[in-house]
Amino acid sequence: MTRTLRPICVAVAALGIALSGCGAKTKSSAAGTPAAGGSADAANATLRIPYLADMSVPDPDVFYDIEGNSVILNTYEGLLRYAPSSTKIVGDLASSWTVSPNRLTYTFKLRPGVTFHDGSPLTAKAVKASFERRLAVGQAPAYMVQPIASMRTPSPLTFVVKLKHPVNPFLAYMASSWGPKIIGPGAIVTHAGSDHGQKYLRTHDDGTGPFKLTAFDRGRQYELTRNDAYWGAKPAFKKILIKITPDIGTQRLELQNGDLDAVMHSFPASELSSLPSSLSVVKADSFLRLLFYVNTAKAPFSDPATRAGLRSALNVDQLVAQGYSGTATKSTGPYPSALLANQPPVVYKPDPAAAKAAAAKASTKKITLGYTADESGVQRRVSELLQAQLQAAGWQVTLKEVQLPQVYGYVKDLKAAPDLLLTTNTPDAADPDTWARILFYSTGGLNFFGFKDPTLDKELDQAVSAAPAKAKQLYQQVGQRIIDSNSLFFLGDVKNVFVVRKDLAGVQQVPAYPWTLDLAALKRAGA
Amino acid sequence: MGAVLARRLVALIAVLIGLSVIVFVLQTAIPADPARAMVGASASPQVVAAKRHELGYDKPLPQRFADFAGRLVQGDLQSSLRTRNPVADDLATFAPATLELALVSAALAAAMGAGLGLLLAGGRRAARIVRLGLVAGASVPAFLSALLAIVVFYSGLHLLPAAGRVSDTLVLPDGPTKLLLVDSLLHGEPNLFLSALAHLILPAFTLALLPALAIARTLSTSLDRVLREDYVRTARSKGLRERKVLLRHALRNASGPALTMGGLQFGLLLGGIVVVEQIFAWPGLGLYLDQSIAYSDFPAITGTTLLLGGAYVVVNFVVDLAQAWADPRIRTI
Repeated sequence: MTRTLRPICVAVAALGIALSGCGAKTKSSAAGTPAAGGSADAANATLRIPYLADMSVPDPDVFYDIEGNSVILNTYEGLLRYAPSSTKIVGDLASSWTVSPNRLTYTFKLRPGVTFHDGSPLTAKAVKASFERRLAVGQAPAYMVQPIASMRTPSPLTFVVKLKHPVNPFLAYMASSWGPKIIGPGAIVTHAGSDHGQKYLRTHDDGTGPFKLTAFDRGRQYELTRNDAYWGAKPAFKKILIKITPDIGTQRLELQNGDLDAVMHSFPASELSSLPSSLSVVKADSFLRLLFYVNTAKAPFSDPATRAGLRSALNVDQLVAQGYSGTATKSTGPYPSALLANQPPVVYKPDPAAAKAAAAKASTKKITLGYTADESGVQRRVSELLQAQLQAAGWQVTLKEVQLPQVYGYVKDLKAAPDLLLTTNTPDAADPDTWARILFYSTGGLNFFGFKDPTLDKELDQAVSAAPAKAKQLYQQVGQRIIDSNSLFFLGDVKNVFVVRKDLAGVQQVPAYPWTLDLAALKRAGA
Repeated sequence: MGAVLARRLVALIAVLIGLSVIVFVLQTAIPADPARAMVGASASPQVVAAKRHELGYDKPLPQRFADFAGRLVQGDLQSSLRTRNPVADDLATFAPATLELALVSAALAAAMGAGLGLLLAGGRRAARIVRLGLVAGASVPAFLSALLAIVVFYSGLHLLPAAGRVSDTLVLPDGPTKLLLVDSLLHGEPNLFLSALAHLILPAFTLALLPALAIARTLSTSLDRVLREDYVRTARSKGLRERKVLLRHALRNASGPALTMGGLQFGLLLGGIVVVEQIFAWPGLGLYLDQSIAYSDFPAITGTTLLLGGAYVVVNFVVDLAQAWADPRIRTI
């Protein structure tokens, strides 16, 4: 052995001794149970899933994104929820509820024997305190409780809400992913501080859900631990590790290697057909929709005839089939189909001659198509297809990738905004108002190009409080107005696509809860 | 030395002021609406306006800049619009991971660059093969070499982990340095050390590839020049072995340009960190910055930019000092 090699060999030997002789401090050993980092039992008791980005905060009264839904929905519960794979509202912390004939008073009977993660019992007072906190914090999801005029707690397990005026989607709000969640006194009394417990709830939870948030290591991973005092069915997994893995390629390789159990969204659609046999795909309905906005505030699309010609240029079948590779279907109405029956149909009939004629008459042929960035690249692919279709009609299309906050800023200067925009979005709940109000209303948050139709606004204002049959008719009318305006094209209904390891059973999801699985229902096959 | 430090301090402040102005101008030039992004799509125009007012986005530009500069002078980086934490706290959370990665990458780049530079100067055939490999590696974009490294060493050979800073089952020690390689040893946890080391190898190597090549090229060129100097010929004529001539006499005099190149490359390395941290799920400033940009989280973007810019200035100052040590003829730094 040469003199140069000897120290290297000594170092390697030392490394080997260190590797074999020392026990790592694992989460389980830290908790006082035997170190079990590599045991099959421990591996089977832990579910590993990735997030593409950190969630903003795990506080249900502040959180208003999609990435993070699985933390909120598995640590907290609301009064109501949606049944799996449906839009049927069922009780969650409320075992039953009634609505007064004038649709102003809602009485919720609470489930007995429920405890918060801090150990205190669920009471009507805690529910009232949670609703009050949401109002006091005043962040994005607060709008769902703002129509409330008063709240009462006539008995420890009865909670009564009186509204200022009838609100048709009120029960849908209660079942929404972003709807009011019931928070225990451990957070909003003991740790209230001066900000209603917001600082505490940035890294902790105090819900009643099947899992507790036991570690929130921003940028690295979140740890959910089974709530053994849970009132419902006991989850199979003891721990859930949610790992921040911002690259979908890395997620895919970790899934294939068994370091992850599922990829929750953004898996490249074109690769779904060539997955290894250890993985399976679950495609489920969602309310996520592919939307194509038209800037009607400036030429050339301020002209209705030019917009009609634009519609003639669209081959939506091709966009959906080639862009989404079987993970989306062509939209048939202005609302996600489960939100409203008998919707006015959305009809696309490609007509190259009409499309060319409209483009030829346009005041300018140079247009910009913006599309929001997404990790799977699907929106870029659809934009490129759109670019090709529009160029065939005679338009000169420049593509521009944009971030969502930029899109929110368009309405401040519509002349500087792109002519067209491709993006996806989802309603807050399974109710037509939660879609129409943000998308079609002149000041709606997702009405990115500020399309205005005063009659439409009036109809929506009537619909929110109208009798159900009348409201339905009004939402249908509003939908028809949007179709006729050619200001917004509904292209595709995007599926929730989960790629999971074959040994994972009990995959349950709700269309209104995007990118989320019921983690309590998951188990290893045969376990 | 005091004058030198003072000059560098002034330069650091000037750079930070320049960066602040650039970041502020970019903020105002980008037509984003973080207020709307924060309050959500269902918020009424009144709520959006109130949030805009709360964030100060409705004030005239000069007043906004004055407020912005005033806060910076007081060290107030505001709170992140996304995490809701003070940006200074977020930076303290994410910076150690980046610092550890950057230090290991820089050390790796220096070692690989110096080693290859010496081998090339020595005219070894093996060095040309290694250089060919490094050129090939450095020719591809960082994200591709990162993915390739993951495919080969994680997916193919199962030798190294693909993502994260440490195994997900391990408990991270609470300080004191937040550098896992150091803290794990201080806490007597060799397995944590080995896990951290294993997780560092791929991202650090990917980041080090390009700087190593640049340093090697500069060093070998500089050595070629120095090895033709009279004093080297004198050393050889005294019968010194070539290795001794190279290491004792030529290297120190030839290291100036390589050190300069190293300093410049450190800036590029910090730039590459955003991509590398994203692919390797490395919980550092690059990942924080990337997520903040997607949210138009201006306070977070500003804080991260100033920190990385400051780090670049400090590193270049250290390089200047090293140059002065290597070549005492340099009087003014």
